[in-house]
Amino acid sequence: MEKLYVHPLPVRIWHWINAAGFIVLILTGIQLRYADLFHVLPFPVTVRAHNWVGFTLIVNYFLWLLFYLFTDKIKVYHPELDPAKHFRNTLRQLQYYGYGIFKGDPNPHHVSLYHKFNPLQSVAYQVIMILLVPIQFYTGLLLWDLERFGGSVALFGGVRVVDTVHVSLFVFFIAFIFVHPYLASLGHTWSAHFKAMLTGYEEVD
Amino acid sequence: MEATKKVLVIDDDPVVGKSFQRVLGGKGYAVISAASGAEALDRLAREDYDVVYADIKMPGMDGLEVTERIKASRPWLPVVIVTGYGSQENEARAAKLGVAGFLNKPLSPDMIEGSAQLALMQEAKPAAAKAGTQAGPVSFIKNVGLFIAAPFIGLAYVVAFPFIGLGLLGWLAIKALAHRGVDVDQPSSPDSDVR
Repeated sequence: MEKLYVHPLPVRIWHWINAAGFIVLILTGIQLRYADLFHVLPFPVTVRAHNWVGFTLIVNYFLWLLFYLFTDKIKVYHPELDPAKHFRNTLRQLQYYGYGIFKGDPNPHHVSLYHKFNPLQSVAYQVIMILLVPIQFYTGLLLWDLERFGGSVALFGGVRVVDTVHVSLFVFFIAFIFVHPYLASLGHTWSAHFKAMLTGYEEVD
Repeated sequence: MEATKKVLVIDDDPVVGKSFQRVLGGKGYAVISAASGAEALDRLAREDYDVVYADIKMPGMDGLEVTERIKASRPWLPVVIVTGYGSQENEARAAKLGVAGFLNKPLSPDMIEGSAQLALMQEAKPAAAKAGTQAGPVSFIKNVGLFIAAPFIGLAYVVAFPFIGLGLLGWLAIKALAHRGVDVDQPSSPDSDVR
């Protein structure tokens, strides 16, 4: 097997800080939203932890964004502009995940420097990283200081709307936290992608 | 920041791919191997490469035929022919296809690295001409524009996907029904007419 350097150091640092931060945000978020069901830390401590980890991840996100904006690796997040090619590859990938993988078929996606994501991952990560994560950070920021951001909150339809968006995305990210490691374990060995996110090198056929 | 150059090595002997990996791997090249012409064309349909090395003698499609097909769809892509069976006829055919080089085995590290550099220099000229004024800020704006557009294009694909899926299922159903109809209505062999 050959090794391809597809996860540069800044991306790996961002990834693991983000992963740890998201887990803390989810746990503290559950306690903030469902205090009657889940109570581990004192409430003020939970609020402070949620806020500070949130700010840390916002800074972390901008480091990720700057890395991609100013390197040729930005191509990893470029969309497939040929719909026929996109749908053909998506169907192949779905067929693999739904059936072929259980028969030991080879993965139809071959990792390369600018195509590290398969078509399903590609769309998912484009939507998550460039749309959903910024929306989550922005709504979190608005909810952090409703007085200061009162104008923006009103513009988006009030606290209820902003809170609903934030909590809906929070539910989505909880699902993501479970799905992501599962999908990451579907490499040629269960630990291959985890190792790659530590070393930067993906093993390719 | 200089981008890593992607090299596709087409050879049914895995040792050749490993040699290229050993020579070019640590020098800013990403070497990817394909064991056959079909696999190489499949990879080229999905990914962009900067240089291709093709062995002439391979089972199935030979290296010159692969080159011909590559040049038909990507005339700008430099292809270097590698062979242990060099002949004037092959060299002439390769030259006619517009290859960037013709290497006779056994290969030395200098031959591999030198040919890659030469091929990339050849590629750089038309690429620069093609890019024209697109270098620098324009390229940056294009990259960022695509980056920003990506989630919206992605969402459009997600919305369209169920319709595409249903359409495909409908098409397959119609095809299956039509096929069944043919089986039922038409005799399956000339023998049945005789009877």
